[in-house]
Amino acid sequence: MIGTKDRTIDTQTYGRGLEGLRFGETTVGRIDGRAGRLWYRGYPLEQLCEQSNFEEVAYLVMHGELPNRAEWDAWDRELRAWRTPPRDALAVLQWLPTDAHPLMQYRTMLSVAACMMPDLENTRLDAQWQRPARILAWTAALAAAAIRHLKGQPPLPPKEHLGFAANFLWQALGREASEEECRAFEVSLIVQAEHGLHAAALGALLVISTGADLGGAVLAGMGALSGKLHGGANQDAFEMFHALSLGGPGRAQGFSEKADRVQNDGTAAGVESRNPTSGASRANQARQEGAPGLSEKVDTTAVLDHARAWTRRKLEEGFRFPGFGHRVYKTHDPRARALEPLAERMLRATGHGVLWEVYGAVKHEVEAKLGPRGIFANVDAVTGLVYHPLGLPTASFPIPFALAIQTGWMAHCLEYIPSGRMIEPGSVYLG
Amino acid sequence: MNKTITSAYNWREPSLTWPVTTETGPGMEGVIACETRVAWVDPAGGGIYYRGVPAVDLARTQTYEQVAFLLIEGKQADEHPDEFAGFRDRLREARRIPAPVVDVVRNLPRDTHPTRLLRAGVSALGCFMMSSDEDRYGTRHWQDLEIVGQLTRLVGEVARHRRGLPAGDPACDCSLAAGLLEAINDREPTPEETARLDMAWVFYADHGLDAPAFTGMVVGSALADPYYNIVAGLSALRGAKQGGTGEYVLHELLKLRDPHVARAWARGMLAQGWRIPGFGHRLYRQPDPRVEEIKQQVRALADQKGQKMLVDVAEAVEDEVTSRLAQKGVHANINLYSAVLFHLLGSEPEMVPCLYAVGRVAGMVARVREYLAHNRLFRPLEIYAGPEERSYVPMEAR
Repeated sequence: MIGTKDRTIDTQTYGRGLEGLRFGETTVGRIDGRAGRLWYRGYPLEQLCEQSNFEEVAYLVMHGELPNRAEWDAWDRELRAWRTPPRDALAVLQWLPTDAHPLMQYRTMLSVAACMMPDLENTRLDAQWQRPARILAWTAALAAAAIRHLKGQPPLPPKEHLGFAANFLWQALGREASEEECRAFEVSLIVQAEHGLHAAALGALLVISTGADLGGAVLAGMGALSGKLHGGANQDAFEMFHALSLGGPGRAQGFSEKADRVQNDGTAAGVESRNPTSGASRANQARQEGAPGLSEKVDTTAVLDHARAWTRRKLEEGFRFPGFGHRVYKTHDPRARALEPLAERMLRATGHGVLWEVYGAVKHEVEAKLGPRGIFANVDAVTGLVYHPLGLPTASFPIPFALAIQTGWMAHCLEYIPSGRMIEPGSVYLG
Repeated sequence: MNKTITSAYNWREPSLTWPVTTETGPGMEGVIACETRVAWVDPAGGGIYYRGVPAVDLARTQTYEQVAFLLIEGKQADEHPDEFAGFRDRLREARRIPAPVVDVVRNLPRDTHPTRLLRAGVSALGCFMMSSDEDRYGTRHWQDLEIVGQLTRLVGEVARHRRGLPAGDPACDCSLAAGLLEAINDREPTPEETARLDMAWVFYADHGLDAPAFTGMVVGSALADPYYNIVAGLSALRGAKQGGTGEYVLHELLKLRDPHVARAWARGMLAQGWRIPGFGHRLYRQPDPRVEEIKQQVRALADQKGQKMLVDVAEAVEDEVTSRLAQKGVHANINLYSAVLFHLLGSEPEMVPCLYAVGRVAGMVARVREYLAHNRLFRPLEIYAGPEERSYVPMEAR
């Protein structure tokens, strides 16, 4: 038995990427990968999606219990009080190229904000506990600003009467979203609020274990999350569905070449001279922004036939579909299941029904072939289908994931600090 | 590997087959995170070897640029002079970072901790180095070498900003060490100063899979952009238990007026059971060969400069501590004398982690690049020890 509190030693067998290694004990979240279930502090995900809101879930994930009225009032007040990030953190955008990935701009704003957190060099536990509300509120405002910056628009001030999710949408989109939109977005935050010791959470935990501050830990988590094997997967998955929904084999062919490159690059890290030009990214974005109108004009049957045929062909080629398969879930992902009905409703209501059909077709083909091997659609396949009809730009899809999941990182860090040793694995020297 | 490995630190094998079975403890003690050919720490002999060469030998004979080449490319600079020259030129040229990145740093409050300024600068740098498509599809690569040069420039700019000096001019074709010293002190460094900084960086270039390196690998394993690995690694490096140690050491030493005060202070600390920064090591139970080397060099530099007090103080503290704790395996670690060295080179305590970072980044780059060649996302599990399943209760009923 491994414990973080005592120094017990156990013999464990594990694979590359620490697959199968049990790091230690946690009381934050529980994942049952075989049953496809997820609990935060003992509460089933489905119940929280139906009855709670993101602020309350964040409190629960970090503090371990649902807040009573007084605790809620204090928490909610604090989250609202910190909605205006430091001006310098927003101002840094003016120095950054607009075509840098929004996650990069966002993390740069965070790294500036991390210079401005009150009492920032204090790493005592009580000081660390002061930080979650600030981090959640500031990051939401900064993330919204990064999304606005994509379109060359200035940041918007918060609206006092709106909750966390609704206010984020207002600051990001420049319009007050409908109740249904807010709810769908809120559920997407709830389902992504905590997920065990994934790479980003591990990165955050590593940093906190060195005695750093919670902001530094969140920055490290953001780093891992920005990678395309992690937070970037929802953007990749959506772009695949989107290209297929545009129908023509040429379009899908174009995607497949790009997707192939994703796959190949996944294992290689060569050195090439960099190419700072970004015409391609702008063209790509323009294509996506022009897409909604197009998607309704194409023949749905032909689009779906094509999507199925393309999927089958790529399955034959052994292509790794973004948004499918998970290291822990070997069955349906409960987070995806919770979001699917919301995504379908929103896509149909906004005239993107074909996207939903394409998702269904690809999912059916992939799961029919790979389901027996434990590969199913995961949450990254579905979040884009909620964010796209809201009007969030594709390149910004990893951002809401980051906003939500940092809750889990902070919970793991705050749990680890009191008893935690510095995390230091070893390596085996070959040679 | 079917046998049980009792301590995964510094294990040496002709080959490794996954999965592995090891004894594991809290904080991933004993866990094997990866195989490596970059460096090996010999816990028995207390030596560290970069690509098979003892670090002490390298510190005596090579510059940091040559050692970065060795760690990152796996080749000896003198055996591949043309390739090394190309590497070195790229490294030096990379100091010409976009002006807005310097603006980002210079517009932050001057009294912010330098590692935070550096982190913001590196993050901003990433925005300039890769557009969003490159970032995500295939064209994204480790701009390995450039990062080493870019970081050096940024550290110089951080130091200059703190001192109220104008932004530096990176146009010189001098070495990384000379360029940084010039930026910090606003004057041309002596050859001795440059050589000592090179030595410190060589010693800091790699030290096994420590927190900054492993954090960089975890972030890298998600295929994040390389600047982000550095941002994350810098966050880990700053922690009080990691690179922050050097800062703390210098801070404490500067408070001690002379060797007598230092001895009394050390005795008092030990009597009260406090740990003295700059001593002891998780791996080593015998003197670290790097410490003897750096101590001699620091002493020589101090004599030359006529600034002997701090090295006298450090030696007094070392003498007090080791006379009591050496038999328990507690010796001075590299942070004790490197802190004195950084002070002699013009650094205040707060700048120490940044100076350390420049050296450390070569090993980080080498290790992350090595891992990415056979990448597998890091994703361990946890044991759930929390509440059993329970039902949501509306707020009124709580």
